[in-house]
Amino acid sequence: MITSSLYSANGLSSYTLTAIPTHPLLSSLGLRQGSQVSIVSRQPLGGPIVIRLGQRCLAIARDIAEQIQIQETAR
Amino acid sequence: MNCHTGPRSIKISPGEKVQQVLFMGNPNVGKSVIFAKLTGMKVESANYAGTTITYTTGEIAGGELRTLATDVPGTYSLQATSPAEEVATQLLGQGAHTVLCVLDATNLERNLPLALQVASLGIPVVYALNMVDVARRKGIEIDVATLEKLLGAPVVPTSAVRGDGLKDLREQILQCASSHDLHPVTIPQDMEDFWDRSREIAEKVETRAERPPTFWDRFEEMTICPLPGIPIAIVVLIIAMGLVVGGGKALRALVLLPVFDNYVAPAITAAVSSIVSEGILRNVLVGEYGMLIKGIEWPIALILPYVAFFYVVMSFLEDSGYLPRLGVLLDNVMRAMGIQGSSVVPMFMGYGCAIPAILGTKAATSQKERLMVTGLVALAIPCTAQTGAFIVLLGDHSMLALVGVYAISFSAMVVAGALMSRVLPGKVEPMLMEIPNLLMPDGKSLLKKIWLRIKQFFMEAEIPMVLGIGAAALVAETGALVHISAALQPLVEGLLGLPPEASLALLLGIIRRELAVLPLLTMDLTLLQLMVGSIVALFYLPCIAVFFVIIKEFRLKFAALVFVGTMVFAFAFGGALNYVGQFLIRLFSQ
Repeated sequence: MITSSLYSANGLSSYTLTAIPTHPLLSSLGLRQGSQVSIVSRQPLGGPIVIRLGQRCLAIARDIAEQIQIQETAR
Repeated sequence: MNCHTGPRSIKISPGEKVQQVLFMGNPNVGKSVIFAKLTGMKVESANYAGTTITYTTGEIAGGELRTLATDVPGTYSLQATSPAEEVATQLLGQGAHTVLCVLDATNLERNLPLALQVASLGIPVVYALNMVDVARRKGIEIDVATLEKLLGAPVVPTSAVRGDGLKDLREQILQCASSHDLHPVTIPQDMEDFWDRSREIAEKVETRAERPPTFWDRFEEMTICPLPGIPIAIVVLIIAMGLVVGGGKALRALVLLPVFDNYVAPAITAAVSSIVSEGILRNVLVGEYGMLIKGIEWPIALILPYVAFFYVVMSFLEDSGYLPRLGVLLDNVMRAMGIQGSSVVPMFMGYGCAIPAILGTKAATSQKERLMVTGLVALAIPCTAQTGAFIVLLGDHSMLALVGVYAISFSAMVVAGALMSRVLPGKVEPMLMEIPNLLMPDGKSLLKKIWLRIKQFFMEAEIPMVLGIGAAALVAETGALVHISAALQPLVEGLLGLPPEASLALLLGIIRRELAVLPLLTMDLTLLQLMVGSIVALFYLPCIAVFFVIIKEFRLKFAALVFVGTMVFAFAFGGALNYVGQFLIRLFSQ
């Protein structure tokens, strides 16, 4: 499986997080290794990416999303 | 919400036994709503994280002993990473007879780690499974009996906004508190996190009905996609502005002004005239700047209608959970101002009053963000009373001028933001935010909130207004205004091109922001002068109450920076507008 950054995810698939940068809030918000996410939207002009994690949507800035590694799980 | 009064103090006689209950939970799970309903205290709540940034204590009635409840700021864990979380761990460290842990039924898995951390400290816990109505609508059913067994503590399903389940919850809390002792605890530096256990529990108790997404589900997602999210945002803001301007104008023109002009003002004038003989005193009371005339007309007949409609709109947006969505869409614009999208919430609150906005920045992740937002709110965001004054002053002449003032306010934020982000040390953290459910606000609690805010505006505006206008009337009647105006003439007449008596607006503007605008009403000004006056008032010093809050929250050095910055901005922008405007007028009249 190829891993890529969360920010470059294209939106149609569901993804598994494989590597997370150390950031106190990320794990509290449920972004952990193995979490399943899907992409809701990406804001233009380098804005945040919005992902769905379980029942909730999270907005993640580009800087952080680029450090999160993902793997495609299902199409 | 104009100015926050401190929590009411609760008197406990020495030696009296009381029970301590802490209300804890993730941000935006409804702790404050439950707290308000169980204690009868009035606390601010809204549908997004971080409304509670300091703690409030109230009393739960009905127990054998007196029971004190503390509304703790929302936290995701007990590792103190933000000021709000530090407050939470500190309060927990002092111990409690019972912790009420509020869980969001629509997001159980994410809520359980904190609950399990608290329970692992050995403190007795009662759980409120809140928002069960929203969860049900989303097709989520939770097996409460199994959850109770797995957590080993009582779980009460509630819908706090509607008031469901709260009676049962109160009984459980009181019973639990009375059967346990106070537990002072030490919180380990490196707490175990209970993520895996939470997942296990959630899987066991949660059943999710597979159902096709409803229109509301799809709409929730649409609001955070650039398309159609941005057009939706524009429509929402146009409706919001239309309601404030149109609704306020209708209320003012159809009800308040006729009543005031035809009944209230003549009655006051007649009453005062029959007691006080002609002279300075009568003029101060009911003359041109009469404190009993303007002091009632300005806040109630002119400003209140707009304030009322503004609070209707703001309360609705707050409780719906729309604002953080706007923050996502606006993040890239806000980064141009040197801040990030999550700050849309305190910035928006600033359009109500700067004080809750500044206090609200405590939820920000970095000190720089706090300073940036505070600076921008103090400089360029008019409070609701000032907005009302702008509409009164400009709206009747030209809607374009009114829109122009807001466009200038917005551009100034970009300029000032860029300047401040260079001057201020530190770094603004990138956006990382949970987006709340989009909800249709509950009518009853919405009305209550709006009513509280309007009442608060009235209580806080009326006395400073009457006294301020009284002082102004005295200054005008005794002739002191002539001297003050002469001293400020180079600034007011030379730089800004305003009549000398406009110096009164600058003096009064220190007391309340709308008073920097309203005196201009009584002068016969050109459209350019109206614009210049409005711009100066907009950027001018925030009111004195805001200043005290800035000094209290930050160091004096920053307050001094705000003082100098707002003054320089006000006169520089106002002067430039005056000169450019006059130049253009000459150019086109030739």
